[in-house]
Amino acid sequence: MSLALIAALPFLGALTPALTQRFGRSIATLTVALFTAAALALILNHLPAIIVGDTVTTQINWLPALGLNANFRLDGLALLFALLILGIGLLIQAYACFYLDKTEPYARFLTYLMLFQGAMLGIVLSDNILLLLVFWELTSLSSFLLIGFWSHLPQARQGARMALATTGAGGLAMIAGLMILGHIVGSYDLSTILTQKTAIQTSPLYLPALILILLGAFTKSAQFPFHFWLPHAMAAPTPVSAYLHSATMVKAGLFLLARLWPVLSGTPEWFWIVTSAGLITMAFAAKVALFKDDLKAILAYSTVSHLGLITFLLGLGTKAAATAAIFHILCHATFKAALFMLAGIVDHATHTRDIRALGGLRRAMPITFGLATIATLSMAGIPPLNGFLSKEMMLEEAAHTAPWVIPVLATLAALLSVAYSLRFLTYTFLGPIPAYSHSPHDPTPGLWLPPAILAALVVAIGAAPMPLAGWLVDAATSATTGEPIHAHIALWHGLETPALWMSLAAIGGALVTLGLYPALRRVWDATPKPQAKVIFDASLTALTHTAHTFTAKLHNGSLSRAFAAAVLTILTLGLYAYQSAESLPGSRALAAIAATPAVGFALMITAALAATALHRKRLLALLLVGIVGLILSASFAYLSAPDLALTQITVEVVTVALMLLALNFLPKITPHETPRLRKLRDASLAIGTGIATAALAYALMMREAIFPPISAFHLAQSLPGAGGHNAVNTIIVDFRGYDTYGEIIVLGIAALLIFALTESLLGTKWATRPDQSAGDAGDPHPIMLQTATRLILPMAMLVGCYLFLRGHNQPGGGFVAGLVFAIGFVLQYIASGQDWAAARRRIPYHAMIGAGVLVASFTGVGSFLAGRPFLTSNYTHIHLPPLQDFELATAALFDLGVFLCVLGAVMLALDALARLAKPQTAKDAC
Amino acid sequence: MEILIAIAIGTLTACGLYLMLRARTFPVILGLSLLSYAVNLFIFISGRIKLNAPPIIGEGSQYTDPLPQALVLTAIVISFGMTAVLVIMALGAYLTAGHDRVDTDADPEDQA
Amino acid sequence: MSQLLILPVILPAILAGAIILIARNTLNAQRAISILGTIALLALAITLIQAPTQSYFLGNWPAPFGIALVLDRLSALMLLLTATLALIVLIHTIRTGWDTKGRHFHALYLFQLMGLNGAFLTGDAFNLFVFFEVLLIASYGLMVHGGGEARIRAGVQYVAFNLLGSTLFLFALATIYSTTGTLNMADLAQKLPQIPANDTALIRVAAVLLMLVFAVKAALVPLQFWLPGTYANAPGPIAALFAVMTKVGAYALIRFGTLVFPTDLPATNTLLASLLYPAALATIAVGALGTFGTRSLPRQIAFAAIGSMGTLLLAVSAFTPQATAAALYYTLHSTLATAALFLIADLTRCRRDGMTAALYMAAAIAMAGMPPLSGFVGKLLILDALRGDAIAWAAILIASLLTMIGLARTGSDLFWKSPSTEAPAESKTAILLCLAALATLTIAAGPITSWLTLTAEALHAPTAYIAANHLGGTK
Repeated sequence: MSLALIAALPFLGALTPALTQRFGRSIATLTVALFTAAALALILNHLPAIIVGDTVTTQINWLPALGLNANFRLDGLALLFALLILGIGLLIQAYACFYLDKTEPYARFLTYLMLFQGAMLGIVLSDNILLLLVFWELTSLSSFLLIGFWSHLPQARQGARMALATTGAGGLAMIAGLMILGHIVGSYDLSTILTQKTAIQTSPLYLPALILILLGAFTKSAQFPFHFWLPHAMAAPTPVSAYLHSATMVKAGLFLLARLWPVLSGTPEWFWIVTSAGLITMAFAAKVALFKDDLKAILAYSTVSHLGLITFLLGLGTKAAATAAIFHILCHATFKAALFMLAGIVDHATHTRDIRALGGLRRAMPITFGLATIATLSMAGIPPLNGFLSKEMMLEEAAHTAPWVIPVLATLAALLSVAYSLRFLTYTFLGPIPAYSHSPHDPTPGLWLPPAILAALVVAIGAAPMPLAGWLVDAATSATTGEPIHAHIALWHGLETPALWMSLAAIGGALVTLGLYPALRRVWDATPKPQAKVIFDASLTALTHTAHTFTAKLHNGSLSRAFAAAVLTILTLGLYAYQSAESLPGSRALAAIAATPAVGFALMITAALAATALHRKRLLALLLVGIVGLILSASFAYLSAPDLALTQITVEVVTVALMLLALNFLPKITPHETPRLRKLRDASLAIGTGIATAALAYALMMREAIFPPISAFHLAQSLPGAGGHNAVNTIIVDFRGYDTYGEIIVLGIAALLIFALTESLLGTKWATRPDQSAGDAGDPHPIMLQTATRLILPMAMLVGCYLFLRGHNQPGGGFVAGLVFAIGFVLQYIASGQDWAAARRRIPYHAMIGAGVLVASFTGVGSFLAGRPFLTSNYTHIHLPPLQDFELATAALFDLGVFLCVLGAVMLALDALARLAKPQTAKDAC
Repeated sequence: MEILIAIAIGTLTACGLYLMLRARTFPVILGLSLLSYAVNLFIFISGRIKLNAPPIIGEGSQYTDPLPQALVLTAIVISFGMTAVLVIMALGAYLTAGHDRVDTDADPEDQA
Repeated sequence: MSQLLILPVILPAILAGAIILIARNTLNAQRAISILGTIALLALAITLIQAPTQSYFLGNWPAPFGIALVLDRLSALMLLLTATLALIVLIHTIRTGWDTKGRHFHALYLFQLMGLNGAFLTGDAFNLFVFFEVLLIASYGLMVHGGGEARIRAGVQYVAFNLLGSTLFLFALATIYSTTGTLNMADLAQKLPQIPANDTALIRVAAVLLMLVFAVKAALVPLQFWLPGTYANAPGPIAALFAVMTKVGAYALIRFGTLVFPTDLPATNTLLASLLYPAALATIAVGALGTFGTRSLPRQIAFAAIGSMGTLLLAVSAFTPQATAAALYYTLHSTLATAALFLIADLTRCRRDGMTAALYMAAAIAMAGMPPLSGFVGKLLILDALRGDAIAWAAILIASLLTMIGLARTGSDLFWKSPSTEAPAESKTAILLCLAALATLTIAAGPITSWLTLTAEALHAPTAYIAANHLGGTK
């Protein structure tokens, strides 16, 4: 539990600045520092156990099904990193408190910083690689926020996004790599994974896993060719650069290499990939650092170079090299964090970071100068500082590694390192004093104390490496390699060590290099260099552009295209499904073709084709479609479906009427615009699908169902069970009354929608006043029609009532009745115009719909009283002369709900059209 | 008879689809109407064809399958509601936009 | 028999009916009814999720002759998800006053919930069609709520495209009924294995057509064209609610793919899985590229939603209990994450302050599948379930990266480059609730996934579901 608490403490601390910021910066800083210090104290509490080689673990189940658990471990390696994260973290908090400007959102800064601290601590304490991934990605995210902290600066935003994209991409690769590793081992727990070296290295998945994991580690630790994001991350406030981008986060990749060292290292693949990446990075970045003029840029490339150094050492795969790597992690963190803080101090004091504009600060800023000298010389690897010790160890390892290019490159990198360090120091602090805008001076102790503490460590570790750092390096290296290690770190190894000579060569070479610097610089400036940022930006822009173009072209807003794609897909997949299996031939006897239906069907087909061919003449096309509908009704009647016929014909009338009314507003002609080629495409798609549909219909009609249809039950139970002669009606109001319930809801919603839409249309200004074509000549409301329809209305109502009542036994029912009523009103509307309709607007159509829904619902709920499910019917027959014998069933009540909904919906739609028409009539009123 | 019906279904489908692929709302609506006729007929024939056998109990000795007819009824009503909605929406689009093209711009905010 | 099963369907209908009848002109009454109704639905869902698999025979007619509702773990889960999302979105709508921008918002909203619940509960294929139509037509109304040219025109496309989908649904159902003589899903599950091996072509056609219908709902490429315009132009809260609409498609695909057309069914075998797999991959690609290449936030979220459907259905296409469980977890996650983003996008129209930026960051992290939120957990679950499938892994991970970069760019443009605090701050309660739900999903991932694993196992061995229908007539 203790480890989980340690990991949680910084996150808890991240919550506090929002609460403490009102008490001022110091309190806010102290509060978060308290959380960091508490975590540090808890870690130190475990120190004795770790030193003797124990491992402390905590297990909390989170997602056992996946193997993602909150398991933590604290061993020597984790200890080293935890001390760095928390120790330097404390210094950074103190430094930042004085560094950031008063106007800046300090609380937010602290929160981000603590989020990062928690994430980083989580990485090093994780004993579960999936948990590690969680923290890993969190460091990328918090780094994104911190780099973008000065969000008004474009370079901050770009740097943040670049860092996120690069480390994020690596993180995703690492997810895959680590999951493969887990699959090989059968567990995501590090404790298990670390014991499975043979299984991992003999697995065919070793190489892919290795490459993916290395992608993650290299992007995070800015190894070539993924180094480019780190210099741009310098847009972050300096405390962030010191903390994340030199001392801790960028070492997460190295941590992972060290963590998995026992199971991944030792193979040729590991050796070649890791050492070459490290070596190239080390030399290349050192060279770039030599030619940078921005203090933070020099330090950034130097960091990249030193990270390369450590990577190189880990790649070698020997225990001695691992020891050197671990030691250099510690040394680099001390001097580089100090240097970043000092660079920040110089920046504050002089308002510039360009070393060409700097110089002579040794007098104005003696403390800063002193501290910078210590840290810089350590970075250069000058004895007796700690940087010298670890660099010597590196050179020693390189000297014993074949081929020869390795020691040569290592020495070259050391040489460049000395050169850029000396340049950094001399250009800033020595030489003449340029004209500063105001006189620079040393800062308050709050700013210089944190680097001073680190500088003291640099000196102390250099002077007494074994007592001060030996135990930590031993513990960390033992944990890394899995075997007890006792390092021997000393200033002097004797004259016969090659490292000594390589060091001397480096220092000498560096002096020569600096002597030749102006000439070298001219060559450098003259050589075209591939700018990583330019390349990155260009590729990202190109990718964005491609994605944008692709998306815009694909989703160009064309409905026709969407339809075409859908129809083509349906047709293709349907055909594929059919032809990839067998089907028995149909065996049903064909029904005879009588003359009348044959003519009818021929007419229907002709009308449909004509409507299609003449579709540009909208009125004509609409009438032709209406004719198709009418013949369809007749066909239903002929094909033993009187209910369908009745419904189809009434729906047809109402639909055509509605569309006629709508067409009143719309253009009467569809303009010519689709190109011939597209027509051809559309026609072939349509015809192809038509043929397929016809074939499918024919195939279905020619065979019986494989199993006896459930409708046998409906026929058998219609009279005894549901009390109706008309099986279709008993199905829709009883057996499947629930479908009908849903269906009237659909109608109700349709009406509400139409009403709401009309309201919003009336509220908005119309783009154009629809042009009334000249074809509208003549009296719009012929008196004959008016009179006739006024007679029709009561008749329609009578017929409607009749159809309603007989529905259960004969074709009819609430739906048809409602429509017949509605037809009466529609005709009246057409004949008498909107004024007549307006006069009847007081009729609460809404209420009809609401009542319809409620009547139907409560009819259904009524059966709850009898303990029966929703919509269970109950009925009794009533004989009322002269009407037919009809039944009074709950189903009839349900049908009443249907009736109300239908009538309300149609009338509301009609009303909507009438109200849309109103603004026009103001002009055309006759 | 079956061949005739199959041809009718095929024709209605083809005509409906062709009209749906036009670029103005009105033909699209007409196309959807034709397509709904086609599908209604298609559902209907899923119970196969029986002449002179309406499913009214007590009239005649054999009945056609009543279930597809009930399904068609539901389908007709629903497609009626949908058509009404589409008609009014198309009208609304025409009134606000000043034209009745169905295609929209890909990404109005993205053109910059 | 417990009447609880029908309540998620009829309660919203009755409340909506009451609003139309008596409260259509009083906004406060509508809001009260709407909120109370949604809370009641949430309470119902919580009750039902603890209930054993059971059925409800409407009209007291035995299955397969009448319509049966079947409640199993999956349907209860979807009810709970819907109710949770609905409550969050409703709070946002009321607090931001979206419901005053047009008429009948609350009635349409309740009908929408009715449609969704009905679709999740029904055990009858044709009834599923009916409730698809209910939820669709309500969604048309909500989509054009408030009006405006762009919205109405996008609405026309949405309606027209879905009408094609509905028509296809009917073709598929008719083919199924004609071949098998039944519409009850459990009955189909029992009968389809008995189809002779030499006569499977027609049922295969029906299966494919049906799956295409659901693919339209789920916005699977190449049937996704309706989604970006619809989501980007819908009112913010409605776009958020629509996050569950695509899940209806996913639900139906899972239901039919495990119950009616499982991969061990001789007639269809791996037909559906083999079609679903490439389509899901293409969907991931289109979604990720769209998220990456689009700059307007709502449209970008719409593409991210498409991408998440791809990921979800990629998991579904494996048709193994482990992958299905992962898909279900991802369903919960992606619904809430998409909704949160749409709600936030709604707030950013006028005001882009630090708090909104923080919320955006959290939601974007979830959407892109970054830790610590549920997107990461969901992604790991799916990757683990699809182990060995390098293409799937690459697709999911690269899509995750593109989504992350795209959302980071938009976020940095919105909140860093052009922050604005002039307009008054709007309520963020709903968004906080949504993120809290995501956080719960993450923290309680252990118990939730074990529950989902049992759910997935029940789906892949649906004996309890079939038995609940009492097909032999024994009640």
